[in-house]
Amino acid sequence: MSPISGLVDRRIYEHPILKFDRGRRVRIIFEGREIPAYENETIAAALYAAGILHFNYSGRLKRPRGPFCMIGKCSQCMMRVNGVPHVRTCITLVEDGMIVEREDTHEATLPTPTKKMKIEYVNKDYDIVVVGAGPAGLSAAMEAAKLGAKVAVLDQNPFLGGQLIKQTHKFFGTKDSYAGTRGVDIAKMLVDEIKDYENIDIYPAAQVIGYYRREGVMVAFQSLRLAEYRVLRLKGKRYVIATGAMERSLVFPGNDLPGVMGAGAAQTLMNVFGIRPADEVLIIGAGNVGVIIAYQAAQAGIKVKAVIDILPKTAAYLVHASKIRRMGIPVLMRHTIREAYGKGRVEGAVIYEVDEKFRPIPGSEKDLEVDGVWMAVGLTPSVELLELMGAKLKFVRELGGYVPLRTEYLETTLDGVFVAGDATGIEEASTAMMEGKIAGISAAFSLGYKSDEAEKERLKAIKWLDEFRSSPHYARIKEGVKKVLITK
Amino acid sequence: MASETEGGKARKVKPEELLETQKDLAAGYISLEDLRRAGNLPPDDIVEKGLPVPIFDCLENIPCTPCHDVCPTGAVVMESMIDKPKVIWEKCTGCTLCAQACPGLAITIVYPKFGEKRLKGKRPDAEKLWLVSIPYELLPIPKKGEKVRVYDRGHRYLCDGEVYTVIKSPRFGTVLVNVLVPGECAFEAKYVEVMRE
Repeated sequence: MSPISGLVDRRIYEHPILKFDRGRRVRIIFEGREIPAYENETIAAALYAAGILHFNYSGRLKRPRGPFCMIGKCSQCMMRVNGVPHVRTCITLVEDGMIVEREDTHEATLPTPTKKMKIEYVNKDYDIVVVGAGPAGLSAAMEAAKLGAKVAVLDQNPFLGGQLIKQTHKFFGTKDSYAGTRGVDIAKMLVDEIKDYENIDIYPAAQVIGYYRREGVMVAFQSLRLAEYRVLRLKGKRYVIATGAMERSLVFPGNDLPGVMGAGAAQTLMNVFGIRPADEVLIIGAGNVGVIIAYQAAQAGIKVKAVIDILPKTAAYLVHASKIRRMGIPVLMRHTIREAYGKGRVEGAVIYEVDEKFRPIPGSEKDLEVDGVWMAVGLTPSVELLELMGAKLKFVRELGGYVPLRTEYLETTLDGVFVAGDATGIEEASTAMMEGKIAGISAAFSLGYKSDEAEKERLKAIKWLDEFRSSPHYARIKEGVKKVLITK
Repeated sequence: MASETEGGKARKVKPEELLETQKDLAAGYISLEDLRRAGNLPPDDIVEKGLPVPIFDCLENIPCTPCHDVCPTGAVVMESMIDKPKVIWEKCTGCTLCAQACPGLAITIVYPKFGEKRLKGKRPDAEKLWLVSIPYELLPIPKKGEKVRVYDRGHRYLCDGEVYTVIKSPRFGTVLVNVLVPGECAFEAKYVEVMRE
């Protein structure tokens, strides 16, 4: 595959599970070259589809860089678009004729927009403002709305559904958590359902940029189209923060090469946009995310050369790990990466074996030719907004990092500020939905909305979480949650 | 492009080499022996009778219940959501709903003596053929009558099989590839690969 060519098309046209609704064909201009794109693609997706992985240059050493997270969190996808610097191309939809340029991250110049910027100011009051439209946020919003609360839901992504929209596998859990249904289909159900609520306003592509504690006002920047923005000043009597998590990276030479990315980012490209980010990959991390994405890579027609993990035993569900073993995808435990190499993009990786003290075993290096290295080495809760709002956080290893202290009903140390989903600690989409329910109902209850049915729902969700976490797979999470539980 | 590492120049490896490593549960490999020890293989008399037998490659207490929820005859027993499924062999009708529903694609259904019962007189090798129903969510989808390569749980080639039928679950979207294999590979058969170019 040539790194830059308008002729390459890495889109997937046949998939065992997914159908891709790409919308109308448009074109964007990348450094003077016309690139075909579809209106439901983000700029980053369209570039990847054309085989362009190099998006910008690092500040100091001017190294080529490409996207890492693909969900608007890492900033490595920023480019100059229609004269506007630092546009997060992974969450900005293409528009016909858009001019996209690589930028030097540290030397970006002031905007020179090709169109006159339009900014509209919106001031609105809500009972509850929910930040994040993933499984937790959507569930919270709907439960609160059912009780009669007036709700706003914001998400920085142009699509609703959070990370559910890229899960091709049927979900674990029980009937109450949509078990047996694929994540993509759960997302569709939730998104369809939420649109039926007249008392929920949805703000996609809206990034929170500030919270004013005294006034209790949240400010978000919503981009309707490029150069057409809305500044949202939303005052919520209550808040539910469901900002999810971000993938972690590993430190090794070449980890910034374009083509080295979070496994979730690869998943976004494969399963949301139907694009093959690579032909042959190495996956680092044989936990659930690593082995699930290895299977999804095979579904997308990508060869997985190996899934490696430094631990002696996979942390994944055995059913997920055994699924890829029987297909012939090697799972190498006690292995890690020494380096990724390549000119301008990843062309290979060297892995090696470690002993029981994680020391490299001399002579165990193996060189794999791959054009993708995907890291599935865990996630960190996205708690920046909670921190900004003033919620008390605590570092809890079992939960993946800093997480908010909270009550059984998921209220933080701040009165009226609730949390749900991965922002409370890294877990599952099914637990996120249950937490969303609890937070949404509790927020509405605290405003005086009541129903016996909701009270029953909330109790059921609390019991469900307790039973779910009693699996040996989640013993650590149960321990972790104990460390941050408070009473008010 | 070569790469310099502390241990000198690293060796390029062939993909097959990597497959030979670590065949145990710690690396996600389940052996037939693991299943036998866990009581997940049927007793001889059930097989002797030619009753359909679901093989659950499910050995952990994970919070997951679809197999239990969909079973119309109560053949999959589970007390709490984190229980391992326990099969009441006599109750299984071989309807395959559990195999269609399983999020882990962990259930295959073996129909012992299928050939003897259903294909006798239709083909000379009928007596030795058993049917195995294998969940499949990849491309290309095998076609009826097509020859496929049949693999075990560690991707070891077992035998060639013939696709008897292919059914796409209307409710769960999972494809079940029903493949005829010699009886002796039936319990080991866990994966099929289309031989088409």
